[in-house]
Amino acid sequence: MRKYLNAEIMQQSMKLKQMGADVTVINSKLCYITFDLSGFKVSYVYNVNKKNKYFLERIKPYPLPLREFDNEDDVIEIINIDLDQFRNAIKSHNIDSFITIARKLDSVFHKFEDLFLYYNLPEEETKRLYDEILEMEKDIERIKETSDRICYDKDPEYLK
Amino acid sequence: MSSHLTIAVGIFSITYMVIMSEKLHRTVVALFGAVLMLLFSVEGQEQAVHHIDANTIGLLIGMMIIVSILKRTGIFEYLAIRSAKIAEGDPWKILVMLSGITAISSALLDNVTTILLIVPVTLVITDTMKINPIPFIITETMMSNIGGTATLIGDPPNIMIGSAVGLSFLDFVINLAPVVVVVFFVNLFILKVIYKTKMLANADQKHAVMSLDEKLAINDVPLLKKGGLVMAITIAGFMLHAQLGYESATIALFGASLFLLISKIDPEEILLEIEWTTIFFFAALFILVGALEDVGVIEFLAEKMVELTQGDIATSSVVILFGSSVASAFLDNIPFVATMIPLLQNFGLQTGGNIDVLWWSLALGACLGGNGTLVGASANVIASGIVEKHGKRLSFMEYFKVGFPLMLVSVCIAYGYIVIRYL
Repeated sequence: MRKYLNAEIMQQSMKLKQMGADVTVINSKLCYITFDLSGFKVSYVYNVNKKNKYFLERIKPYPLPLREFDNEDDVIEIINIDLDQFRNAIKSHNIDSFITIARKLDSVFHKFEDLFLYYNLPEEETKRLYDEILEMEKDIERIKETSDRICYDKDPEYLK
Repeated sequence: MSSHLTIAVGIFSITYMVIMSEKLHRTVVALFGAVLMLLFSVEGQEQAVHHIDANTIGLLIGMMIIVSILKRTGIFEYLAIRSAKIAEGDPWKILVMLSGITAISSALLDNVTTILLIVPVTLVITDTMKINPIPFIITETMMSNIGGTATLIGDPPNIMIGSAVGLSFLDFVINLAPVVVVVFFVNLFILKVIYKTKMLANADQKHAVMSLDEKLAINDVPLLKKGGLVMAITIAGFMLHAQLGYESATIALFGASLFLLISKIDPEEILLEIEWTTIFFFAALFILVGALEDVGVIEFLAEKMVELTQGDIATSSVVILFGSSVASAFLDNIPFVATMIPLLQNFGLQTGGNIDVLWWSLALGACLGGNGTLVGASANVIASGIVEKHGKRLSFMEYFKVGFPLMLVSVCIAYGYIVIRYL
């Protein structure tokens, strides 16, 4: 298996180098982790490389790049907190709406990316989309102020 | 002793059959068989370890380390692109250039390694030109088996023969390289007849390959220079190892450790790339065949062979050449050669004459025979696996239609060479 992987990597890196890339191949391990919270699946992948960098990403219930960590304890801690938040969340009657909205946001982002990369957008339309996003952001801030906080294990990363 | 004999033959035969059936990984089967020899007290642990040929194992490990570092330089990608550009995008000329690179590389590295390096870069060239890669892959696979026949280090059967018999790198070059050169060109000519009209490219396809930049393929120029130095020292060492009184493994391990030292690459990264399954397969085979030797089976078979051929070297040589080529076309040639070596050594002891020609017949038969079918050599299996992962299919029959007749032609040339030169 390793032989075939190396052969594949050799082909890909040769093609990428012809495209102008600087390719570095690092030996690493990929860990695939799944939790079953009473039928609600939460999955992560993290990659550990020889330079002691850990790249963690949540893939279920919806994909979310979680970032790079310097040590294993931080990875476990983040998964633990994330998992606790989902344990609380699944008790809420809003969980289905939450997942639906999260997936929708992910899909909207990809559509926006396609729109931007495949079409020449009129400036006024771009501005309008931006204003709508700002409006939604304000809505989130406003709802936060009027809702009870339920998780105190760590502070929110984006919603200060 | 007679119960040991029965047990040893039983374990060996079952192990051999399971390996040939390819139902289980050959290394696992060979290791299990070897351990059974110990569990049933056919041979003791110390004795078993003593049977493992350190020279073969050392040579394989040494060369694997050198290649693992060398491939990081991007030299094979560079050579493939450079060849395609020298050939000005003409598919047949590219194939000729890549065949030459494959045969020469295979003479200096083992066949599987050569295929693992040359097939991926070939696929990039054929992808770029949007042409069918199959003629390239079949030709390269055959050329790797042909090129590997020329030297002591080119093919595992040669490594085992050289190590067991004490034949040097130069002995192999002097005795096998001339016929290998003839076989190479005759095969190339026949392949030209088969493929030339199918290998066409229009101006756009040629332009696509001409626009590749070979300089982008080189990853690390200082490492490439160090690699060139290490390869030069190692090849010179192989040329002189007999005169210097060193085993070939000592030369390979010197080259490997020197390269590790001057490359400053993390040794853990490199040692991870060694094909440990192949190394363990060899070690287990040596134990299995050693057990057969210890219980007298090999001696018995050698007596039968002397009876059958009446000790005539010419007859034995023909039987070994054609027999080993047909066997190697369908079976794994490594266990076959591992068994044949002690058999021929015993044959030599019983007839008392010079049996060098039998070693050359065995090497030519076992190495060239691998070209007969898709399962005839590990290099063929690996090449077809890479192609399959790439989304194409190289079927047994597609290979067989080209490979088997060409293998027969090659073995007939080898037979003519043996008759003219030695008999």
